Amino acid sequence: MKRNIIIFLSSVFLLTGCKDLLTPEIENNQELGNYPPNNAGLPFGVLLNGYNRIPTNSWSFNDVATDDAVTNDQNNTFLKIANGQWTANNNPLNQWGNAYAAIQYLNITLRDVDTVKWAADPVVSKLFAMRIKGEACGLRALFYYHLLQAHAGMSESSAILGVPINLDVQGTNSDFNKPRSNFDACMKQIYSDLAQADQLLPTDYENIPNASQIPPKYGTVTKEQYDRAFGSAFRGFLTGRIAKAIRSKAALLAASPAFSSGSTTTWADAANYAGEVIALKGGISALSANGLTWYSNASEIAGLADGANPSEILWRNNYGDNRDLEQANFPPSLFGNGRINPTQNLVDAFPMANGLPITDAASGYDASNPYAGRDPRLRMFILVNGGTAGPNNTTINTAADGPTNDALNKVETSTRTGYYLRKLLRQDVNLNPNSANNQRHYKPHIRYTEIFLNYAEAANEAWGPTGTGAYSFSAYDVIKAIRTRAGVGTTNGDPHLEQCRGSKEQMRALIRNERRIELCFEGFRFWDLRRWNAGLGETAKGVSIRNNNYSVVNVENRQFQPFMIYGPIPYGEILKFSSLEQNKGWR
Amino acid sequence: MNQIKAIIAGVALMGLAPVSQAQDTAVKTTTVIPVNNKVQVAFRKVDKKDLAGDVSAVGVASQMNLNYMTTSLENMDGWINGFNGNSIWGMGSYLLIIDGVPRDAGNVLPTEIEQISFLKGVNAVALYGSRAAKGVVYITTKRGKPGNQQINIRANAGVNVPKAYPHYLGSAEYMTLYNEARRNDGLAELYSPETIYQYASGKNPYRYPNVDYYSGEYLKNSFGRYDVTAEISGGNDKARYYTNIGYQTSGSLLNFGEAVNNGSSDRFNLRGNVDVNLNQYISCNVDATAIFYTGRGVNANYWESAATLRPHRFAPLIPLDMIEPTDEASNVFVKNSNHIIDGKYLLGGTQLDQTNPFAAIYAGGNNKYISRQFQFNTGVNADLRNVLKGLSFRSTFAVDYNTSYNLAFNNTYAVYAPTWNNYSGVDLISSLTQYGQDATSGVQNVSNSWYRQTIAATGQFNYVNSINNRHHLSAVLLVNGFQQSESAVYHRTSNANLGLQLGYNFDHTYYIDFSGAVVHSAKLPEGNRTAFSPTASLGWRLSNEPFMRGVRGVDDLRLTASAGILHTDLDIASYYLYQGVYTTQGSWFGWKDGTGVQATESRRGANPAMRFPKREEISIGLQGSFFHELVKLDGNFFVNRITGNIIQPDVLFPSYFTTGWPVSSFIPYINYNDDKRVGVDFNLSLNKKLSAINYSIGLVGTWYKTTATKRAEVYEDNYQNRQGKPLDAIWGLQHQGFFRDADDIKNSPSQSFGQVKPGDIKYKDQNGDGIIDTRDEVYLGRGGWYGSPLTLGLNISLRWKDLSFFALAQGRFGSYGMKNSSWFWVDGEDKYSEVVRDRWTPETAASAKYPRLTTFNSDNNFRNSDFWLYKANRIDLAKVQISYDLSGLIGNKKIVQEMGVYVSGFNLLTLSAERKLMEMNIGSAPQTRLYNLGVKAMF
Repeated sequence: MKRNIIIFLSSVFLLTGCKDLLTPEIENNQELGNYPPNNAGLPFGVLLNGYNRIPTNSWSFNDVATDDAVTNDQNNTFLKIANGQWTANNNPLNQWGNAYAAIQYLNITLRDVDTVKWAADPVVSKLFAMRIKGEACGLRALFYYHLLQAHAGMSESSAILGVPINLDVQGTNSDFNKPRSNFDACMKQIYSDLAQADQLLPTDYENIPNASQIPPKYGTVTKEQYDRAFGSAFRGFLTGRIAKAIRSKAALLAASPAFSSGSTTTWADAANYAGEVIALKGGISALSANGLTWYSNASEIAGLADGANPSEILWRNNYGDNRDLEQANFPPSLFGNGRINPTQNLVDAFPMANGLPITDAASGYDASNPYAGRDPRLRMFILVNGGTAGPNNTTINTAADGPTNDALNKVETSTRTGYYLRKLLRQDVNLNPNSANNQRHYKPHIRYTEIFLNYAEAANEAWGPTGTGAYSFSAYDVIKAIRTRAGVGTTNGDPHLEQCRGSKEQMRALIRNERRIELCFEGFRFWDLRRWNAGLGETAKGVSIRNNNYSVVNVENRQFQPFMIYGPIPYGEILKFSSLEQNKGWR
Repeated sequence: MNQIKAIIAGVALMGLAPVSQAQDTAVKTTTVIPVNNKVQVAFRKVDKKDLAGDVSAVGVASQMNLNYMTTSLENMDGWINGFNGNSIWGMGSYLLIIDGVPRDAGNVLPTEIEQISFLKGVNAVALYGSRAAKGVVYITTKRGKPGNQQINIRANAGVNVPKAYPHYLGSAEYMTLYNEARRNDGLAELYSPETIYQYASGKNPYRYPNVDYYSGEYLKNSFGRYDVTAEISGGNDKARYYTNIGYQTSGSLLNFGEAVNNGSSDRFNLRGNVDVNLNQYISCNVDATAIFYTGRGVNANYWESAATLRPHRFAPLIPLDMIEPTDEASNVFVKNSNHIIDGKYLLGGTQLDQTNPFAAIYAGGNNKYISRQFQFNTGVNADLRNVLKGLSFRSTFAVDYNTSYNLAFNNTYAVYAPTWNNYSGVDLISSLTQYGQDATSGVQNVSNSWYRQTIAATGQFNYVNSINNRHHLSAVLLVNGFQQSESAVYHRTSNANLGLQLGYNFDHTYYIDFSGAVVHSAKLPEGNRTAFSPTASLGWRLSNEPFMRGVRGVDDLRLTASAGILHTDLDIASYYLYQGVYTTQGSWFGWKDGTGVQATESRRGANPAMRFPKREEISIGLQGSFFHELVKLDGNFFVNRITGNIIQPDVLFPSYFTTGWPVSSFIPYINYNDDKRVGVDFNLSLNKKLSAINYSIGLVGTWYKTTATKRAEVYEDNYQNRQGKPLDAIWGLQHQGFFRDADDIKNSPSQSFGQVKPGDIKYKDQNGDGIIDTRDEVYLGRGGWYGSPLTLGLNISLRWKDLSFFALAQGRFGSYGMKNSSWFWVDGEDKYSEVVRDRWTPETAASAKYPRLTTFNSDNNFRNSDFWLYKANRIDLAKVQISYDLSGLIGNKKIVQEMGVYVSGFNLLTLSAERKLMEMNIGSAPQTRLYNLGVKAMF
């Protein structure tokens, strides 16, 4: 009898091979620690997890929750928060989960970096460890910057609070109930991480011609060893230059009106940090001549290879050949979805080509022919009625009585404002399903123009329009260079700029307007308005054109409360952890 | 590879036969002939009178005389107490077994079924192990019986008639109301009165379309359903056979383009069972089934489009005779088109509707869904009575193979958008814009290839003996296992367990039964993979006691009780969940314009203490028969807890411990959630012969209540706790009518779902914090996701001479639904349904039943709230059948022995306050009533 059972059991197990029946089929699961010497993929992948979470890896287009644009996508979460749905519980700008998760992975990297054998050659392994430690520090600072931008704010007692500082790996038994550090402590942490990154990392990842070029901080190593750890193979990873640029971004935030009362970072600091990056680039003359159209410089982009940066770009992600942006934003007659619709508010912010604002009586602005004689950037960035787009330079009619689907509000993919997006799009993309083609795109993390504008803003506040601090260029010089590049005021000596030169306040308004124009649709406006304590409630307007008559119409209200200059701490975290204090006004 | 293993295992099993045989010397025949009063329970059959209370069964084969069924579990909630359509005792995911092997209900048709058992309580299911812990539905198929060859033929012809179509507004009314919605949003009107007038006039439906997707232009009034079945069975003491050959076909409603010839589906099935007595000790059975299913369709989802495409959007067809003769370009289009419909039309469309359901059905090609199912069982029985009287051994082995795939011809096509002109009152097309291109590749695309293989095997020793015809003993010792592997799924679904059943009854009066299993699951950490699931039941037939003998009117009365603990891995979603793991196959990160490498991602924290969730249960049953079998009653009360359900408790950790992209979690899976269910089921039947009429009336019911008894949760306000609420709780806001005016809005708590205006829904501020958000959501009612809280079934059979009547109705009560389909939630660019006619306007503020219209997304109005809540109480008349037995009319019964005809109606009637909503499908093919005429004959 026993024999029967044995025979039977053996036959059952034979037929199933035991897989998943008695023991689970093997999965490629791994655990941390005890890193095998011949495979650094697991610990290196932990660092890459941090890279994957960089918020600027993709476009967010939160501009549609500002006075710059609306979207015709009714399900857009930014549209919804602009329409009054922004709560601590419903926050599409939430960085808490993403950034702290990244910090957790970076903390793992920093904990384990010295225990990993990164390469067989112990010298190279040590260089690798320096680089990876530097990258992890730099990235951690970047994520704290994004956390501060999205979550720092004013407590009930009007103190400027930052976020909790986690510098250790958290396990399931860690104490999570930690209070928010004050804003300045967070800034100090960011500066310290960036300083360490800058100290450990080379300015750029490039192969060097000979060993004499090796910075002394790496000790006596050979050219080959240096190139293996810091050579051009690592372009795209965080460098000393990038750490400096992040410092400029963070300092600008900290010096801004919304945070300055809780911050020891001064405008002068912010100006100096930006100036350092500009000086490293080569000063004011290094402003990239074709930087205005960085997204559509066809031959330059076609020539991109091995992670090399165009002169406008300080840090970017990999290029890709696709047509997603065009599919989303081309007007319907070019087979796009017409998603982002720039507002009349933004159109009005573009000056005339002579540099004068359209509100200036001397500007020559003609309300019945509103797009004539304007700043060339207007038609470059925004597809206005009668403007051209697409591979065949099709003239687009956005008038309310236009014959095509491009007409105002005609169908669900039509514009809601009378304007379509033109910036960021490659007009040489054809979306016609019969002959669609892709073009090369890349997403910048940091453009030099941003750093120039950071400098102008901070230097104007610190030293006035023409003050230069330790550098050889002033806010005025930067704005002049930027407007000249754009083709504004080039024939008449730009009287408006010259007028602003005399007043810090006028200069401030001009710098902010230039920043709005230069960086439009790149995710800056939403946070810039907030750090300036600027009004958030300006109604988004559009233009309705009938029989060639232009009339401005209201398109979408902006339902932001005054306290919404600071983002909320996630409601769920407040509920779970009693030590976390919410920002004033949020519930 | 698997096939080879299967063959090896099969051979190994066959090899057992001689081994068993060698031990036997005495001579006696064992036969496995089903006896009608035997009921299939776990791994054995028992007499109906000895059946435990937590098992119910229905004899499908005998039912089919009065009630022709088309699917295997049709209306079973009208027959079986405790079963409410998709779950047993409200537990969800029961195990469906056909002839001992886990299979799908669709693998078998009612004509093939002998009996269906519903094993409900812990004692009834324990032997099936881990994956049976939420109940078992056991379908037993027919087998041959000794005797002359019998041939049964049955044929049915039926017609499916749609119950209801949703009604949408026509173009002109839509445009008028869309303009109103624009005004409500503070925007200019979009459609001019002239435009609306043109659409309203209907003079030129090609220029001003007003498409009704549900009109007779596109749909038939009904479609047919036909089936024919032949059953051949017979045999003798040595061998018996049963064969079932069936074919059924059914059409569809679409009536144009390629849909005319590509709307049908057909199913052919072939079943053969053979039972053979090899000698006095050894018998075996071999069963095989094959099912071939082919469904044909067009490359468009017409019904989904019907619910979304607005009527004015485009004309499906463009008449050639309205093209200006001088328009050369258009005439070239006409000349080159592959698709001139009826010789008169081009396909219409717009830039945004380049592919549309009409054009796709005319020109987009067609597809076939092909499914093949093969099932193969063998069993060997060895009588071991010369080892021990009453001992036998049975082993079974089964292999199933299901495969399916799609074949499609996907053609692209051009559509044309006309530009119209009007010359002295005559509309003409002055130009056409072509979108897309006509192309017929002729390539047949294969897609969605899928297979699933099931291997199941059991071995069991059975012991059945009676001593002095008073002490009845039974025992089963078994090993049971099955495994299913599926295409593109790495891990398999497995079950492995040992089982032991020990039963004793004294004179059918006192019963005791122990059923236990040692279950094993590879989903748990080493050390916790095996668990013991003990159960026991007791029975007491009171009617056999002396004190009951004198009680008149009681034929039979029995009390049963059972209790036990089952361990199950049913709800452990995956393998290795106990292990804290990192994967190096995370999201890609590329640098230097290269492809990069995959990042490392943590998948979960470690929990080496993970164990089986448990079902603990006590049930009490009562079975009785009264007044000479006039009344029969069978009922159960049960209370069970399923404890230690596995969750990843987000609320105990910071939010960043889990992120969606890149996929990451540091949170361990732990045994945490507990659920509780309490319920009662009953089956009351009345059987009576009154003069010449036989009556039989059955009333079955199931009532149950569920509670989430333990939850990991953190809510600011206690009323939001899920703990203590039903498992199928619907949550939402409470409404307080519509906002009357701007003052009303100003003086009310602010609502955080977007800007509100008069005519929007106003909600109650539950926590009084002055802001309406998801924290104000309260428990609204039970969703009935595991069956309605109260399910009733009523079945009536009447027989008068050769005429019989049958009706079955079901009632479902106590659950709620949310009116949240696209038919009710209309905003933005949606298609306007007729509900919007009751919208709020300042003039109709007092009587409005629907919020104001808007061209934005109305997140404020269209969210779960009691504004949209409805009671889902309903009574359905599911079946009526009238049968006439023609056997009496047949003079010479040599060839045809029996004959009958019947007419039946399926899904005839629904009674409910929300009948219209319940009978209407939005975005899918309509529900239908089926009127059926059938004939059957036995040769």
